[in-house]
Amino acid sequence: MSQGDVILDIRNVTKRFPGVTALDNVSFQVRRGEVHGLCGENGAGKSTLMKILSGVYPYGSYEGTIIYDGSELKLVERPIQRARELGIAIVYQELMLVPNMTVGENIFLGKEPVERGAIQWDRLYSEAGELLAKYGLNVSPRAPVRTLGVGKMQMVEIAKALSENAKVLILDEPTSALTEAEVDRLMEIIANLKRHNVTCIYITHKLEEFFRIADTITVLRDGKVVASQPVGHYTLEKLVGYMVGREMKERFPKRHRHIGDVVLSVEGLEALDPNNPTRRVLRGVSFDVRRGEILGIAGLMGSGRSELVNTLFGEFGRITRGTIRIEGQEVCIRSARDAMRYGLSLVPEDRKLQGLVLIQSILKNISLPNLDQFAGFMRIDEDAEVVAASKQAKSLAIKTPSLQARADSLSGGNQQKVVIAKWLLSNPKVLIMDDPTRGIDVGAKYEIYKLMDELASRGVAIILISSELEEVLGMSDRVMVMHQGRSMGTLDISEATQERVMAMATGLDEIKIV
Amino acid sequence: MDILKTSETQTVNARSALMEDILTRLKSNFQTYAILFALGALWILFTILTNGAYMGPQNISNLFRQMTVTSFLAIGMVFVIVTGNIDLSVGRLAGFVSVVVAYFQANVWFRQIPDQPLLSAVLSVLIGLGVGLLWGVLQGYIIAFLGVPSFIVTLGSMFILSGAILLVTQGKTIPANQPIFSDIAQGYLPQTLGWAIGFIVLVALLLRSLNKIRRKRKYGLQPPNIGVELAGVIITSALVFGYIYWVNEYRGIQTPVFLLALTALVMSHLANNTRFGRYAYAIGGNREAARLSGVNIQRSIFLVFALMGLLCGIAGVVLASYVGYGTIAAGQGYELDAIASAILGGTSTLGGVGTISGALIGALIMSSLTTGLQMLNVAPAWQYVVKGAVLVLAVYADVYFKRSRQ
Ligand SMILES: Nc1ncnc2c1ncn2[C@@H]1O[C@H](COP(=O)(O)OP(=O)(O)OP(=O)(O)O)[C@@H](O)[C@H]1O
Ligand SMILES: [Mg+2]
Repeated sequence: MSQGDVILDIRNVTKRFPGVTALDNVSFQVRRGEVHGLCGENGAGKSTLMKILSGVYPYGSYEGTIIYDGSELKLVERPIQRARELGIAIVYQELMLVPNMTVGENIFLGKEPVERGAIQWDRLYSEAGELLAKYGLNVSPRAPVRTLGVGKMQMVEIAKALSENAKVLILDEPTSALTEAEVDRLMEIIANLKRHNVTCIYITHKLEEFFRIADTITVLRDGKVVASQPVGHYTLEKLVGYMVGREMKERFPKRHRHIGDVVLSVEGLEALDPNNPTRRVLRGVSFDVRRGEILGIAGLMGSGRSELVNTLFGEFGRITRGTIRIEGQEVCIRSARDAMRYGLSLVPEDRKLQGLVLIQSILKNISLPNLDQFAGFMRIDEDAEVVAASKQAKSLAIKTPSLQARADSLSGGNQQKVVIAKWLLSNPKVLIMDDPTRGIDVGAKYEIYKLMDELASRGVAIILISSELEEVLGMSDRVMVMHQGRSMGTLDISEATQERVMAMATGLDEIKIV
Repeated sequence: MDILKTSETQTVNARSALMEDILTRLKSNFQTYAILFALGALWILFTILTNGAYMGPQNISNLFRQMTVTSFLAIGMVFVIVTGNIDLSVGRLAGFVSVVVAYFQANVWFRQIPDQPLLSAVLSVLIGLGVGLLWGVLQGYIIAFLGVPSFIVTLGSMFILSGAILLVTQGKTIPANQPIFSDIAQGYLPQTLGWAIGFIVLVALLLRSLNKIRRKRKYGLQPPNIGVELAGVIITSALVFGYIYWVNEYRGIQTPVFLLALTALVMSHLANNTRFGRYAYAIGGNREAARLSGVNIQRSIFLVFALMGLLCGIAGVVLASYVGYGTIAAGQGYELDAIASAILGGTSTLGGVGTISGALIGALIMSSLTTGLQMLNVAPAWQYVVKGAVLVLAVYADVYFKRSRQ
């Protein structure tokens, strides 16, 4: 059990899906107790490899050998449970908790302590509490999961994964939905795990994170290993180069924008949470956005950014005060359908829950909000539909063998592209994007940025929300900052520094409207 | 359009492209073929056990006619289940429609418009469809706009309709056997008309294929393989002609089967090629995503239940004509047959998945079982047991194959 020996030796692993080779002769080694970063573009095969390790794709459904802790890993019967028993734990890209159960219940789901057929609740909660404390996770075991923020849910997932004495912990894009503070917290937790000699395989598209915690980084491209080296071997540029196979000079594209008239203006908007009408989610928001402009909305998690855009889209808050004007005309938006009629489109925050019909084809997903474009008398022109959808799919470089493939066969990032594609096809006047690059690789991010710039240059007004402040600052012409459901003011990009925005977002600074 | 094609090289030889085309077709309709296969196996089994009597023209003719009432219900049930709902009232609603129609036949027409069989038949049909549609609209309104779960609303409605049937019939049997009306479910199309329909189907299929190819060309899309397309047309029309030939050996195409085929065509079109259908599938697949995509969920669900009501109206009229009277037991338990047919045909209880053609084959399997077991003199008690077991087995087989294909 010395630190530094090889715990996981992956040898010539190949995994094929109909039409795609997700992993192509992959070999690399993971050392005990290290944090092993795994990176690559969307669809490079990262999640697929992790699903092999965790038994989702059992032994025999792939080629090659995996040596784990000195012997060959053969997950055949009840492979997922077997992997867990052997000490391989995984936190998936998407959160998988039961919202109506408590933290403790979730952690012990499927392995509740029982005595004569009855669950020992006290034991369950005390063990859950110990576990949470051991790794420094600051969550109450009796709190219902639905009351937690995404960050805490992530911690519960980790605790759940660790509850069986994991030797290897796999984290698949754990930070894509976390705020900066929560990311810091997660980094501490991982450092703590390392002290407990837990090996960590860490996947993320936020490459800076590798340089904070990884010991080794392996880069996958198109299912092949292109580099597997100690972290000191890489620089950020070099890493990006390995990932995308070419050099990337800048992170954000040049701007080609001509800002025009005001399209959407919001004044003094106040709204209640429709599920809990005593909670005020918006407490005075005013801003406007112009043709050809990108307006960034910054704020901490819970500041009401997503609530704001969902309310604008007619799908969330009960508006109690304030006005919304589109091209000068006051409008009343009661549903997504109304919003779309006024030329609004929304790329929602959560692609699986809100963005996609996972069991349907990519084609049907892209065309769903746009069927009016293809509907003739009593029938849909399916060929026109295919042409339009494949044009979008192509311009966003969605990686798939066919538009007929189901949305759930795509990698996370490519699913996000489908969501963007469907809204681009609707030709909006105002495109609202709620965290549009979540889980998207650097190369594709750049493509999406370019696309945003191009749309703006064609006169579309874009509202951008992002959990990454850098993205907001890099893309926006102006930045509106929110704090506790209020707009704290709007900064021109020339005066928006990280410090200034953070000060406003935490409520320390406010631009008074004169 | 490289994104639409799997093949890496353009120079794949024609044969493997053809194979691939066929394979993708087979795969995308895997469940339909599996269930067709099951149906074939069932028929062969019964034919052997009955020394060939099972496949006789008269028996086949009756078998298809027997399935029509539940088939109308099963078709509508596909939409209902696809949107993630359920309708338990369909059997009793069809039954209610049948007794109302019988009531008018026995008590009203005969006094108000005697000796006008055509007019009274037309009026009966209109009243039947109207009652069904109205009830569907009412249920749809309560479910979609007032937000009461469909399970509850239709369960309640099942009770209410049972009461209504008693009120209308006063516990007695009402005859509904005026000449033209009876033909709706008991009549046959003249043999020459039967053949003419066969030719119309053939021409329509050919035109449709040509149109498909022409339109794909127009948009610069990869046109379907002509051989495969043609094979599809030939197989389909061979089945249609075979069927026509066989039932003509008896007395011709059964009127209710013809009506069912027309209805099924319209409904298939609704499901696949209209916004209404697309929205229904999207709602069942992910309600939230559909809503955010601008789908008017309340309206869609309302329409689905209204349509279900209309189909119950049709089923009720056919039922009254088929049995020739309205009774207190009319339509009892039909909802279960309808649900079973839809599910046998591959409709997912989780919503978002299901086809009209599948439901029809499902209904055919149910009806084939009933007829076959009756011919073998199996006691009714065991007929239920066998049907139930087949349903569970079929779904298990589907689950099993899905798992092993992964
Ligand atoms: N069940 C499946 N059926 C068919 N293809 C699949 C399936 N799962 C994954 N793929 C394909 O395998 C490839 C690798 O996918 P994977 O999810 O491993 O990517 P990833 O590296 O995790 O990407 P991301 O960063 O976007 O999450 C993709 O091209 C994807 O479309
Ligand atoms: Mg992934």
